[in-house]
Amino acid sequence: MRTFPNYTMDQTKQEEECGGLCALGPYAKLLLGAMKNSGCKVFKERHFSCEDCSGTVSGGFDAASSQIVLCQNNIHQQSHMNRVVTHELIHSFDHCRAHVDWFNNLRHLACSEIRAANLSGDCSFINEVSRLNFGLKEHHQECVRGRALRSILAVRKISREEAEKIVDEVFDSCFNDHAPFGRIPHSKEDAKFAYRDYMNKDRYYANL
Amino acid sequence: MDRPEESRWRPPRVCEDYWTEFRHCKSLRNRFHHYYTYGAMPSCQQWNEDHNNCKQWEMHRSPEAKEALQKSERNRVAEQKNFTPVWQLRQEPPRDWHMPLNQEKPQDS
Repeated sequence: MRTFPNYTMDQTKQEEECGGLCALGPYAKLLLGAMKNSGCKVFKERHFSCEDCSGTVSGGFDAASSQIVLCQNNIHQQSHMNRVVTHELIHSFDHCRAHVDWFNNLRHLACSEIRAANLSGDCSFINEVSRLNFGLKEHHQECVRGRALRSILAVRKISREEAEKIVDEVFDSCFNDHAPFGRIPHSKEDAKFAYRDYMNKDRYYANL
Repeated sequence: MDRPEESRWRPPRVCEDYWTEFRHCKSLRNRFHHYYTYGAMPSCQQWNEDHNNCKQWEMHRSPEAKEALQKSERNRVAEQKNFTPVWQLRQEPPRDWHMPLNQEKPQDS
């Protein structure tokens, strides 16, 4: 992970708040804050594990050990790592705030995968173009469906048809669940706006 | 009883935030992202109205402006909650989140 020398006092305090993970960008910063607020403060040493993985998998969330696994042999760029961490932090956030039955309830699994694909930047226009998936109008939704499907099929021995049916059943609900961002963050700028809203939430809800 | 409450109230966001949201909403990049996601252009005018109402409250303590602003923000909250959750939310975090890892147990995939 990158490190920044020459911190100012405010930056040092921020880094303490993020557990040394602020450098991963505004998406991660917001998720880490939200998790801390929900009683699941993330510690680098306890909740992250770097491993060699088979195939092309970039990472995963292991609910049994409350750990995010990063596949060090398949992540070669900082931007990719930031996105993988964001994706897995969304699973961790869901695990922290809800009774997600990862192992027995495919609807729960599908929902978290839809959210992770939707909110992590996985399906940005640029990322899709780099995968040679050229689409414009509402393509984001198509990408989210496709990637959620892929993620489910990678971890569960079910047919494609069954997986598609489950994704269809929960898609509307889970695509519209934008917690903790309050919006779909399509860019770092969106994520910064979302982070600003998050830091303002006490004032916001007190004056509704 | 109303006076102290009124003097305590302030807009849910600082007025400048409404303006920056309005500018951000109307930006080319955001319009592109909205079309890419929803197949339509975003509606941004509400941010502008909220900014105007916020300034009205700041300058004149207008009760109409306050009410309009609160209504607008409550609508935003309602929109964000407009789905039926698939799962049940927790009252407390998972008990084993902070427990140390058991090094002797085999790793589950």
